[in-house]
Formats: sequence, structure tokens, C-alpha cells
Amino acid sequence: MLVLTRRTNQSIIIGDDIEITIVEIKGDQVRLGITAPRDITVHRKEIHEQIRQENIQAAALQAQDAALAQNLLDSPDAAKPKGSD
Amino acid sequence: MNIENESVLTLPDGLLGFDHLTRYVVLSDNDKSAFRWLQSLEDPAVAFLLIDPWCFRPDYGPEIRNEDVAALGIRPESAKIVYAIVTIPPGQPEAMTANLLGPIVINVSAQTGRQVIVDNCEYYTTKHSILTEMRRATGLQATVH
Repeated sequence: MLVLTRRTNQSIIIGDDIEITIVEIKGDQVRLGITAPRDITVHRKEIHEQIRQENIQAAALQAQDAALAQNLLDSPDAAKPKGSD
Repeated sequence: MNIENESVLTLPDGLLGFDHLTRYVVLSDNDKSAFRWLQSLEDPAVAFLLIDPWCFRPDYGPEIRNEDVAALGIRPESAKIVYAIVTIPPGQPEAMTANLLGPIVINVSAQTGRQVIVDNCEYYTTKHSILTEMRRATGLQATVH
């Protein structure tokens, strides 16, 4: 991994058209400004990973659970926890 | 099952974790259902349950980034459909959740789609309890004695 030291308002260029600027440094937080072509998506890594994990869980869904879920959508009251009525 | 519009939906980038699968059809068990199936045409074992997010979260307001809009070829006035992917823990349909952080946005006329990460990600998670939020929306929780 390449490690560089930068100060506020300094930047790095990746390739020809991606620029990352250090906007602000406060305590242990760094604010980054990113300029990139429209077709490049930039996301926080942890959010990307959460969605990937969620997709994998979602794909494991069982057809019979989906049928039961449909019944619950039609009458959501039926799923109230016991003792709540 | 009915194949809606009988047309192939292309997700050029696939879904996160399923990047290699790009061709799908959207199926429904019946027209009145808020659920749809997103069935892979390339791997028959892969299908996702989708829900119209507004059916349980009428206030859902995903902000979609410009680059996602551009990638879909959507103009502000174009028709688009937004679905949330549903997760059901095995054997616990009452615990079903919907992913409002990473919805699927479809350009209806081009039949292309994309899983986006909403820009206002501080308001949404990958696990919104569908029944809890549906009851909240309809005020039914007030009837609990």
C-alpha cells in the first residue's frame, strides 16, 4: 500500500481524472473532497459491505417463507407478538 | 407466475455480491401483491424478493446521486420504479426486513436497473422491519392494550 502524507487543502491525483483533496482535519476525522468522472461511484466502504452482505442474505430466502410473508402483508395484525392484544 | 412486460431487465453492474449476474426478469405471484421476484436468467437458483418500499414506508425519500441517474440514463421526467430487496430469516416471515439503504432503481423505458446507495444514508439501513413500520404507518400500534 502506498502511504502519503498530505496537509489540509492538498490533494492527490489517481490516474488522469480522479482527485482527492483533504478538506478538513479535526481530531481523528478527516473530510475528503473527491472529484471523479460521473461513471465512477464513490462510497464509504462499510456501507458497500453492509449492502453486499444483505444481498447475500436476501438471496437465501425460501419460497415458503415468502408465501407466509405475503399473508402477513395482507393482514399485518396477525403477526403481533403474543400477549400484545 | 406472470412475467411483467415479458422483458429482460438488465442490471449492467449486477448486484453487490452478485456482480456476474446482469440479466433478470421481474415476476409477480399476483397483481395485487406488493411483492415481486427478481429472477436471474443466468442462474436459476438466484432470485430476490422485492417490495414496493412505499407500501410500508409512505415517507420513504431516497436521494439518488447524479452518477447513478446518469448511469441509468434517467431524465428527471422519465418513469422509474424503485424496489427494496426483502430479507426473511429462515422460518421467521414476521421478521422480514427491507433494504432501504440500497434500493434497486429501474429505468422503465430502457429496462435497465441499478442497485444504488441512497445519498441520505444516515436515514436508512439495510434492515427495516416491514411489519413494524407498516403498523406505525397505519397507526395500528396504537391499538395495543
